[in-house]
Amino acid sequence: MKKGIKDRVAIIGTGVTKFGERWEKDEEDLIVEAVMEACVTANVDLRKDVEAAWVGTFYATTGISGSTLADPLKFYGKPMTRVENYCATGMDAVRNAAYAVAAEIYDIVLVCGVEKILDQGGKGLDVTMMFPHPILLGQSAPAIFAPAAIRAFKEWGWTSEDLARVAVKNHHNGAKHPKAHFRREIDIDTALNAPMVCYPLRVFDCCAISDGAAAVILTRPEIANDLVGRNNYATIKAIGLAVETLYPFHRPDYTGLSFPANVKAAEAAYREAGIHDPRKQLDFGVVHDCFTINELITYQDIGLCKPGEAADLIREGVTAIDGDFPINPEGGLKCFGHPIGATGVRMICEITKQVLGKAEGYQVKNAKAGFAHNLGGPLSVTMITIVGTPDWE
Amino acid sequence: MVGILSYGAYLPMWRIDRSEIANASGGTSMGGERTVASWDEDSLTMGVEAGLDCLSGFDPKEIDVLYFATVSSPFKEKQASSMIASALDLRRDVYTGDFTTSLRAGTLAVKAAVDAVKSGSAKKVLVIASDCRKAMPKSDFEQLYGHGAAALLIGEPGTIADIGGFTSVSNPIPGLWQRNEDDFLKSFEPKLDKIYGLLKDVPEAVVKLLENFNLKTSDIAKFAFYGPDPRAYQDLARILKIDSKAQLQNPLFEKVGITGTPHCLLLFIAALEGSKPKERIVCANCGEGSDAFLAITSENLERIKQKHRGTKHIFTKRMIQTYGHFMDFQGIRKTDWPPKHMRASVVKYWRDQKWEIPFYGMRCNKCGTLQYPIHRCCMMCGEIDNHQEVKIGNRGKVFTYTHDYILGPGLFPCDGINPATRVVVDIEDGCRLWLEMTDHKLEEVDIDMPIETTFRLIHQKDDYRFYSWKVRPVRS
Repeated sequence: MKKGIKDRVAIIGTGVTKFGERWEKDEEDLIVEAVMEACVTANVDLRKDVEAAWVGTFYATTGISGSTLADPLKFYGKPMTRVENYCATGMDAVRNAAYAVAAEIYDIVLVCGVEKILDQGGKGLDVTMMFPHPILLGQSAPAIFAPAAIRAFKEWGWTSEDLARVAVKNHHNGAKHPKAHFRREIDIDTALNAPMVCYPLRVFDCCAISDGAAAVILTRPEIANDLVGRNNYATIKAIGLAVETLYPFHRPDYTGLSFPANVKAAEAAYREAGIHDPRKQLDFGVVHDCFTINELITYQDIGLCKPGEAADLIREGVTAIDGDFPINPEGGLKCFGHPIGATGVRMICEITKQVLGKAEGYQVKNAKAGFAHNLGGPLSVTMITIVGTPDWE
Repeated sequence: MVGILSYGAYLPMWRIDRSEIANASGGTSMGGERTVASWDEDSLTMGVEAGLDCLSGFDPKEIDVLYFATVSSPFKEKQASSMIASALDLRRDVYTGDFTTSLRAGTLAVKAAVDAVKSGSAKKVLVIASDCRKAMPKSDFEQLYGHGAAALLIGEPGTIADIGGFTSVSNPIPGLWQRNEDDFLKSFEPKLDKIYGLLKDVPEAVVKLLENFNLKTSDIAKFAFYGPDPRAYQDLARILKIDSKAQLQNPLFEKVGITGTPHCLLLFIAALEGSKPKERIVCANCGEGSDAFLAITSENLERIKQKHRGTKHIFTKRMIQTYGHFMDFQGIRKTDWPPKHMRASVVKYWRDQKWEIPFYGMRCNKCGTLQYPIHRCCMMCGEIDNHQEVKIGNRGKVFTYTHDYILGPGLFPCDGINPATRVVVDIEDGCRLWLEMTDHKLEEVDIDMPIETTFRLIHQKDDYRFYSWKVRPVRS
């Protein structure tokens, strides 16, 4: 790596729609809502100032190609690209945009992630398109993670209660977020007695099917100072992305106790940001808790604790919003659901708000830098973006 | 002398108590239970299982001919034996043929096999007979039928039983029939079929056979007949003056049901299992006439008995609890699962058949990792185009698992009731696989559970039948 991304790109605008079952809205409504909020917070004029745009969508029913973004905004004639990379779709759109800004190809760019999952109908994510081979076995989204829970129960003595604690924590946090899909607290018995989705994962171990969109405006710090002032933007400190196989369960080194993409993406991100002790140097994180077991395994993979100790973190409240290292202070995917294209962009918005002290009602104390984490596909793609205040070292 | 080198059989794991059928369909129970193929089984997959049992201890590459006999092929047009040959990993230049449309198809295939070996055109011929007949709800066939498969390896030398000779009778009696447009078997007058078909044709073929060898019925240790119902066997014994207790092979009605094409071969295998060397067995079939053949067991028989499951499949079973499940297993009850119009590329299936059907993986020549499926690059060290194709073993244990209520078997959206159990398994040869489990109960699945592979229907997307391998609990 020659220069890296650290402090070369500023996030000046964020926009997040209400997440949830948006039956009456289509992707056009959601894109316009998120992009306009982002432009207002960034103090930019879409048609005058934005030079290029990236859009993240996973499902073709939401949209393919740059026109997915251009049409709702009637914003034509600009370079626009659709990005897809499993559950890191939105965050990878941010990555592509950030690199274009850092390369000084453009000054101001727009990224929007959007997904209208409910328009597809059906139960759960339609992942059948992820497995184009007629024989080579795929699985539902929870079935990617459930076998890991079975191994963790066996190896470390974790229990369904430990998984439920993740759900209880995230629901506690999300109850305070005005844009969350689910805004109610749950207790551990509710989680433990919910219907089975994918053994041993029950309903509250799984995030919901939700619609939503999120947008960010990126520029370079020197331009950001002029547009929004030094206290109103965050800078990207690192972006780590690691891609692994679509078929992890055929690998002889699959253990279920660690997801290799997590480890490699974290290593890359920490190296770029200059982090050697994430628990000390960072203040909080937003983890891809599509399933509760995933949040726990990720604690370990990204170095928040040693293997086998993640359950202790959740039992002891370390990752609670008032704990030593809050995880998912906004409620996570557990409360926002997972409109795939939108999720990564939403997470970038959330960590930006936290470090700017604008996470009203769910603010982490003294948050100067935090990370956002996506794990997508069958353990195939992990992306970690670290964002902090401009003066964070 | 040409004869039988090996035998094998298969009975599906599932049984239904006939009283359960009687409760649901009306009428009285015929007593006992019958075998029922799982929803992911058919005559083809059961044929593969019987073939595997039969070839245990034999090199599949030595088989020159495969004959598959059935009246319930999954296809009206499409050869089943070529798929079975591939799943059994037979040679590419094997002769494959389907014998069909008559319950005599199995014995006719045995005759053709013996003739081929005698003529010198083949050294080893595998004959597989298998049937998975659907029974019209509320018909007697629901209780009468069972599902199963039988296999005989024909050749020389080293026979466990020599085949002395054949006789045959052809008789165009109305009998049972199924037109192309029919979903179920039809019959007009079973009594006429019995009196002027079975009870006339089988004795005629058997008497002629015995005359050819100057034998009396008392010279025969066991008679393995086909009969459409349990009483027919007693009728045949009476007409032929056979001691029904000592000489009549138990028709397996109590535990299996009448399996169709494979039935007299299944009974013949049961007779072999119970025989001592140098005993004579007569096998006689029926269907628009009769075929009969004489077999004389040899000293080799004892040596191979332990190698084959044969009719011991009777003893490993699981009960289907309800008539509804019985309907679903047969695909009779209309449900909205699985969805009808999901796409799956038959081209991909065709292209990758080496790892899908005969079940090969690859061993990297550089790092030695055995892996599945076959790729250009090694999944562990990245070595390109430097591997050997290796047949994957059939036993292993569960590493981890889940019961998936979102995507059901075959990656269809789940019906929400019957989850797909997906397992990461470690095969004894060191290969790691991610497969569906079948024939199991959810509560028995656990880490380290022993499993074995089984050839099954995966799904029927695009109205094509995609077959490949799953795992099941080990059948003892």
